[in-house]
Amino acid sequence: MECEYRVDIKKTIKNLLFFHEPRVERPFILTEVSREGEYGPGLAKAREKPRRKKNENLLLEKIEKAKLTGKKESQADEKAPDISRQLSENLEVIEERFSVPLNGDLIIRKFDIAVKDSVIAAFMVFFDGLVNNKVIDDDILQPLMLLSNLDIRSDGDDLLIYIRSHILPHNQLKEVRTHQEVIDTVFFGGCGIYIDGLDTAFAADVKEFPGRTVERPNTELVIRGPQEGFTESLRANTGLIRKRLMDQNLIAEDIIIGKRSKTPCSILYIRDIANDSLVAEVRRRLKSIEADHIMDTGELEQYIEDNPALPIPQVMATERPDRVCSMLADGRVAIVMHGSPFALVVPITNSDILHSAEDQFLRFPYSNLLRGIRILAILVSLLLPAIFLAITNYHHEMIPTDLLLAILSAREKVPFPSVVEVFLMEISFELIREAGIRIPGPIGPTLGIIGALILGQAAVEANIVSPILIIIVAVTGLGSFAIPNFSTGFAFRILRFGFIILAALSGFLGITAGLMLLGFWMVNSKSFGVPFVSPVAPRAKGGFSDAVFKSPVWNQEKRPDFMNAKKDSKQAEISRGWINRGSSGRQPDGGDRNE
Amino acid sequence: MNKGKHLAIFIMIAIICPLMTSCFDAKEVDDLGFVIALGLDRGKTNELLMTLQIAKPMASNNGGGGGKEDELPYATFSVEAPTMVSGLNMINTFASKQITLSHIKVVVFSSELARDGLGPYLHALIRGREFRPNMPIVVARNTAEEYLQSVDPKLVLNAAKYYELVYQSYRYTGLIPKVEFHDFYLAAESMCRNPVAILGDASKFESAEEFDIENSTYLEHGRSAPLEGDFLAGDIPAVGGARAENIGIAVFDGDTMVGELDGTDTTYHLLCTGDFVHSYWTIPDPLSEGDYVLFDVKQSRRPQHRVEIVDGKPVIHVTLNLEGDLVSVQSGIDYESGERSLLLESAMESYVKKEVSGYLDKTIREFKSDICGFGAQARGLFLTWAEWEAYQWNKRYKDATYTVNANFKIRRPGLILRSKSSISSESESDEQ
Repeated sequence: MECEYRVDIKKTIKNLLFFHEPRVERPFILTEVSREGEYGPGLAKAREKPRRKKNENLLLEKIEKAKLTGKKESQADEKAPDISRQLSENLEVIEERFSVPLNGDLIIRKFDIAVKDSVIAAFMVFFDGLVNNKVIDDDILQPLMLLSNLDIRSDGDDLLIYIRSHILPHNQLKEVRTHQEVIDTVFFGGCGIYIDGLDTAFAADVKEFPGRTVERPNTELVIRGPQEGFTESLRANTGLIRKRLMDQNLIAEDIIIGKRSKTPCSILYIRDIANDSLVAEVRRRLKSIEADHIMDTGELEQYIEDNPALPIPQVMATERPDRVCSMLADGRVAIVMHGSPFALVVPITNSDILHSAEDQFLRFPYSNLLRGIRILAILVSLLLPAIFLAITNYHHEMIPTDLLLAILSAREKVPFPSVVEVFLMEISFELIREAGIRIPGPIGPTLGIIGALILGQAAVEANIVSPILIIIVAVTGLGSFAIPNFSTGFAFRILRFGFIILAALSGFLGITAGLMLLGFWMVNSKSFGVPFVSPVAPRAKGGFSDAVFKSPVWNQEKRPDFMNAKKDSKQAEISRGWINRGSSGRQPDGGDRNE
Repeated sequence: MNKGKHLAIFIMIAIICPLMTSCFDAKEVDDLGFVIALGLDRGKTNELLMTLQIAKPMASNNGGGGGKEDELPYATFSVEAPTMVSGLNMINTFASKQITLSHIKVVVFSSELARDGLGPYLHALIRGREFRPNMPIVVARNTAEEYLQSVDPKLVLNAAKYYELVYQSYRYTGLIPKVEFHDFYLAAESMCRNPVAILGDASKFESAEEFDIENSTYLEHGRSAPLEGDFLAGDIPAVGGARAENIGIAVFDGDTMVGELDGTDTTYHLLCTGDFVHSYWTIPDPLSEGDYVLFDVKQSRRPQHRVEIVDGKPVIHVTLNLEGDLVSVQSGIDYESGERSLLLESAMESYVKKEVSGYLDKTIREFKSDICGFGAQARGLFLTWAEWEAYQWNKRYKDATYTVNANFKIRRPGLILRSKSSISSESESDEQ
């Protein structure tokens, strides 16, 4: 047994050390599309597609089509109409599917409809608490039960058409032919109406969920710019996006996720900007998820991201509708989920995690200052404790003598090696941070006092840590809070510990090795077919106007090349028409002459 | 599952490998003793007497006792040893912290040692990776030990800072040369130039009553009274602050010291090498005997060296480009006006010519050592390296002749646009 195991290890080591043919995989590639420049036709002509790519594209489309048709067929089988003309049979099915005696909040209301002399039995089903009772009373029950007696002129005999077009004045009414559709609607705040003698049921949308109203976003606060954040309701969220992006090509595709939870989601994109293969890929990934319950986009993100092990997030989660809108306008795809106040946007690159929503609204010198500070914050949060350790343990000659002597005298009475010191402080800082989130509101201030006392004064006075280290940890903490993306903050907190260990083991050599590994890792990863460090590697045109630093907004003419959007440019070469006298616009020359 | 196992083993190996090194090189700051100055003298019992100043951690300010007199910013160790490295070893036997030289600020040699040749020590310094290549080299006219002790810890709160700043003063006094160790070493090995070191010594005056100008070099310069630069280290009539004085040049031929130059000549040396930044000059007034004109002199352009070889002897042409602001005119003559300013400029030019010629004379006749690096220009006159080597520049330098050309421009008259002699009953004019 033991011997076998040893052999296994040998093999493993061999496997690790020697060359293998790399496994051929077919990763998702964002296919290029022929782009028409909306502004200036010269650009599209200049960039001619290579032929090989074209063929590939065709092939992919074929595969995609075959898959879609295949799926449709299988879905058609599932959705065979199963509503009976007998009301009692339908009632039985519904009672069984909703486990009626057990479910207390399910309401089944039986009533009669008087239609042209005859009385027809009917019932409706909905969940109490998910629906607007007033709408049900006024717009569904009242017309069916009372107003159906009115003398309505109509010539058709079909009861279904008669009811739909004359009796039910409710605005969102669907005719459905399967129980499943009714049930799905009921769970999403609708009500199902069954009528005797019809093999079709009505699904009316009367939802009114208990929930928050639109509030300020909690994580991405800005000073300049809109102050609305997403809420937990899907339609309110898509509404917030539509409110800003009044583009007729904005598509909000519905999709249901979760085999049991059946959480409704929307895929949003602008049809004539977003790359089709990207939209198809998002759809494919979402549809392929075979999980019972998905509650939040935080979970969903983990199902669809490319590299689960990479600490840095490859999907942007944002609470701000305006942010989603501007990213949609770049040709990205957003996913909004019912029950989650965060929308996901894909694909992103590493420069997107540097950006804050405010950058867009500030004049470019201001946002460049902020960008610079953020880069510094990332470096500090990632490397400062490691650099401190490396210098004090390995590279004493690197710092000014006075600083060295100051560190020396501060450390003179500290009994631990500086690695232990750094870990002690970093861990207690993380403790305070975690406790600060969990602590109930009213006793929050206590934590501040404890934190300040323990970390600040007492630890120094007890000679457990040196005062300089307090500064290092404090600055590191500030740096990690200045990173605009919440998940990225986490990523750098984790990586920081890695860098501390590397620095303790081999100083700058270790830090350099760590940075290289991190670089390899990032260069190697993709987010929905877009290389994670583009436009830097691979080099792409047009991405630089708003990558690390931002050029003035009228100068950002191109959508990033790596996005392979259908429209290449987002504004004219000269977008400020007024700077060219006599060109388009108001023609100031003519005006002058008149005067 | 197999993949997971592979990954686990790979991660284990990846973690264990670096752990085997276990912080191999790491040294905590507080386990080290940082030498900030090193002095080398001829020992009584052995080859060398080493004097080390080791920085102490700054006294913690608890209690706030103010001036603790016994609390020195550094500890001084002396040891007699055959070589530098063995000396460090010997000190490590009784110093609690491991001695490290990575923050050394200055190396001081005694002139006795320097006159015997620094070769063996230079090699040790250049090889040791802990020595900083930009540290200055000082030659103490007396002993290095005395020089280091004269950096009085009571007056100099932070010795490391003192050393860092004091050797940078050539930028604004022009009285010490610019010396960096790597350059010193290169010059010592070079075939076309020779190195210089800062001349330093402890002041010989304890109080103002003892002042004299016996050792001043003003007579050599043909002056009636000493100007600010007419001293060698240790002879300046001054008290206060650190007793250590740095003024003048220790001239080397190869690695052997051959002579000393005073502060004034140091200025001309800086002018000729192009390291001059700015300083205040006092020159005799051309129109009024006994009065002086003060200039803030800058180098407007680096000096131009041109070398010819005539009959096998080097002929050196030096062109100096200077400019200056008027700082003070003691006589009150309005040198601001056109005619007079030209007069003053030409007087300054001839003064510089004369003085620099005197300096070049000394390097050629007295020291026979090309400390200005004219050889670098001479190299270009030879077609092959073998010819250059055969010429033996350093030996031929003593036969060199030279011409000095100086351009001087007055740029600004300071805050006074027109001088007027002060109006009083006596016609005696005063400084403006």
